[in-house]
Amino acid sequence: MRLLVPRGRFLERTVEGLHAGLEMALDAENSAAAGGLLQPLDARVKVVGLFSLILAAALAKRLWVIAAIFALACALAALSHVSFRVLAARVWIGALAFTGAIAVPSLFLTPGDALCHVPGLRWTITAQGFATASYLLLRVETAATLAVLLVFTTRWMQVLKALRIFHVPLVLVAVLGMASRYILLLLESAHEMFESRKSRAVGALAGAARRRVAVASAGVLLGRTLELSGDVYLAMQARGFRGEVHLLDDFTMKRLDWVALAGFAALATAGVWAGR
Amino acid sequence: MMLFETARLTYRYDRLTALEDLSLAIAEGSRVALVGANGSGKSTLLRILDGLYFAQAGTVRFRGEELTEARFADDAFAFSFRRQVGLVFQNPDVQLFNPTVFDEVAFGPLQLDWSKSEVRERVGAALDRFGIAHLRDRVPHRLSGGEKKRVALASVLVLDPAVLLLDEPTAALDPRSQSQVIDLLVEWGGGAKSVITATHNLADIEDIADRCLVLDGGRVVADGPPAEILRDRDLLERTNLVHAHRHKHRSGELHSHPHVH
Amino acid sequence: MHIPDGYLSPATCAALYGGAVPFWYVALRRVRQALHTRLVPLISLFAAFSFVIMMFNLPLPGGTTGHAVGIGLAAVVLGPWAAMLAVSTAIVIQALFFGDGGITAIGANCFNMAIVGALVAYAVYRILARRAAIGSARRVVAAGLAGYAAINVSALLAAIEFGIQPLLYRDATGAPLYCPYPLSIAIPAMMLGHLTIAGFAELTVSAGVVAYLQRSDPSLLQSTAGRGAESIEASAGGALRPLWLGLGALLILTPLGILATGSAWGEWVARDFADPAARHAIAASSFHQAAPLRAPEGLARWSQIWTAPFARYAPPYVRSAAFGYLLSAMFGAGLILLACLAVGRLTRRQGPTT
Repeated sequence: MRLLVPRGRFLERTVEGLHAGLEMALDAENSAAAGGLLQPLDARVKVVGLFSLILAAALAKRLWVIAAIFALACALAALSHVSFRVLAARVWIGALAFTGAIAVPSLFLTPGDALCHVPGLRWTITAQGFATASYLLLRVETAATLAVLLVFTTRWMQVLKALRIFHVPLVLVAVLGMASRYILLLLESAHEMFESRKSRAVGALAGAARRRVAVASAGVLLGRTLELSGDVYLAMQARGFRGEVHLLDDFTMKRLDWVALAGFAALATAGVWAGR
Repeated sequence: MMLFETARLTYRYDRLTALEDLSLAIAEGSRVALVGANGSGKSTLLRILDGLYFAQAGTVRFRGEELTEARFADDAFAFSFRRQVGLVFQNPDVQLFNPTVFDEVAFGPLQLDWSKSEVRERVGAALDRFGIAHLRDRVPHRLSGGEKKRVALASVLVLDPAVLLLDEPTAALDPRSQSQVIDLLVEWGGGAKSVITATHNLADIEDIADRCLVLDGGRVVADGPPAEILRDRDLLERTNLVHAHRHKHRSGELHSHPHVH
Repeated sequence: MHIPDGYLSPATCAALYGGAVPFWYVALRRVRQALHTRLVPLISLFAAFSFVIMMFNLPLPGGTTGHAVGIGLAAVVLGPWAAMLAVSTAIVIQALFFGDGGITAIGANCFNMAIVGALVAYAVYRILARRAAIGSARRVVAAGLAGYAAINVSALLAAIEFGIQPLLYRDATGAPLYCPYPLSIAIPAMMLGHLTIAGFAELTVSAGVVAYLQRSDPSLLQSTAGRGAESIEASAGGALRPLWLGLGALLILTPLGILATGSAWGEWVARDFADPAARHAIAASSFHQAAPLRAPEGLARWSQIWTAPFARYAPPYVRSAAFGYLLSAMFGAGLILLACLAVGRLTRRQGPTT
């Protein structure tokens, strides 16, 4: 949710956002290719394992259990050479700011036993309020960390192919794959469009003019998108595509994978049981 | 029997006529260059020859069989045709639509229902042959122009088609990549393979073709060996393949010569 | 707009996944039928476009900027089912790859924005645009309002999903486990931002791009123009079967509601007020306000009038509470479905002739 953004500099902020998106993709690709604890494991094991840990964190009714899962996620990250700096920049700080802002009022608004008074204001932080804010923040951080861990230790296409475990139809896996491939291209197109407008804009534009620029860019991008989709359709046909999707997945479970799966299962079960 | 035969082919995009009454015949094993300025109808013709577009008027035959939309509705015919004829598109972002290089080269074989192990083997061999094995897990987006072109060629040639159609293969490539592509085409074109290349780059045609068809305004305006075509300055200027270029020498003399892109 | 993990209980998330799956199934079937081999390139590319649009900072009046989802535009250009798939794809990639939106919340986000959003946007667009010419201003306005309505309905659903969390899911001390804000806070908080900023952003994108398309490529607006249009959005009775399956999934999940301690908030009967154990439960779930010793007079009076055939959800002859709950839910859902079908049949007869 990014409803409110500081005024002005809308082109710059969009450009930055698009650029950050491209950067993220590159970082994840490099990280997934590097060595580490999680990288060599079968993608299906990681998808199922990390998802079950996210679920355990979501189900937990005790704070310490969520904190333990978070600690586990950090440990796995460290062992997989995903630096805390990267995690902080990509996940922790953003979630802290956003969910933190949402959670703060609940400190005071949740009825219950008083914990402490805020000096100066006549507001009381309740124990329940503190607990609730902690639940929210910890859960968000834990789940986000685990999700990033998955993407930073597994090549993206492997993640998508592993989704077949959840009975995601082949055609949708193909759609996800192709969409990802073209997101990078369209991000770059949009980036270029905005960069060129930025360089041509003399001084700040008035509100309505800025809106027109944004909408016109969207329109041009849409045109490009649909034209591209038509051409890709031809290219697919030219290589024999008749509508049936075929995927080549090289998923084989090695002993290490079974061990890892068992490990994840044990930890997730423990988490669910302890947190009930 | 001719490889390709068209008779009075006419193709229109809405109100724009791309091909007008076009008739030609291409024999098996020939290496043909379709030459013309942008907008002369080369790409459209290639797509019609590849059974992707179907003309509003006229006919096109591949080894005697007429290529119609109805014909392509038959799976057996479609698969057989796609196996024999490959088309390399001009825009690499259209040609490379899979998330990784390996997936891209494997796409064609997978459509033809080969066994997984055979697919893996063939793809590995193709990657090696084109010198792109080190790129197998890379995302197409971040490859250089030359690398993309090699992936595109590998993904089409992995099926070992009898006919190769190329749309502007050296466009937007640096000189070294351009010569690499030309070398590949010259090498692959040996024997009974047929190559039809659409290009406006006159420098290439002598290497890659024995026969040159010049297109202008959707029609064939000249047909002959490349050397002969290149000698005909008037023709080249008329069809916008060259332009007269004037400059002044230091001695004050005004010099004008045709300039080829 | 994208709900992260941790705000909704797993039960809520599961229910929303259950609600989303039948729609995805139907959408895939219909889009496949309509597009055949075009499905993969069209949906993929549009999903990529939708993703990029979601990143645009749109300048709005008042100096703020907002983000649009693009669901209004998608519904106008692609029709509701393809739009549903395209935007769902974008949401999945955002959640999985970019961490924008939670993974347990993918079902919820898709349900709110992609599924309900697409249906609302399409319905509003068709109703407002009627048979206006492709290039008319009326279509631009209709598209804008369609986007506005869609995003606000999505926000309302999200607000409701948020708001019921503290009522249903609390730990032993009474602290809410997930979203801590009840409906009275969640709804105004969400709606304020969306009725103004996000709604206006969506309106701008939908109306603006449709106006742009009217000039540059009107054929793109043809498929949802509604004149002689068959294709994806034409209703086919056979497609209802998956909806039954989906409903079944939802029903089977309703016993999860039993997991909530005590009875659901507000669903007490007059008898509960006299029973000390029940009173304790009521107090615990009502912010520790002690329940009155006697049932409120109105509650006592009305509870005599309507003794629902499935009183307290568990007919006496059914021994297992969970099974009784399930039966009652099925009965209730069946009633609702029959009502919907009846309304649908009536409106179809009065619908515009194509």
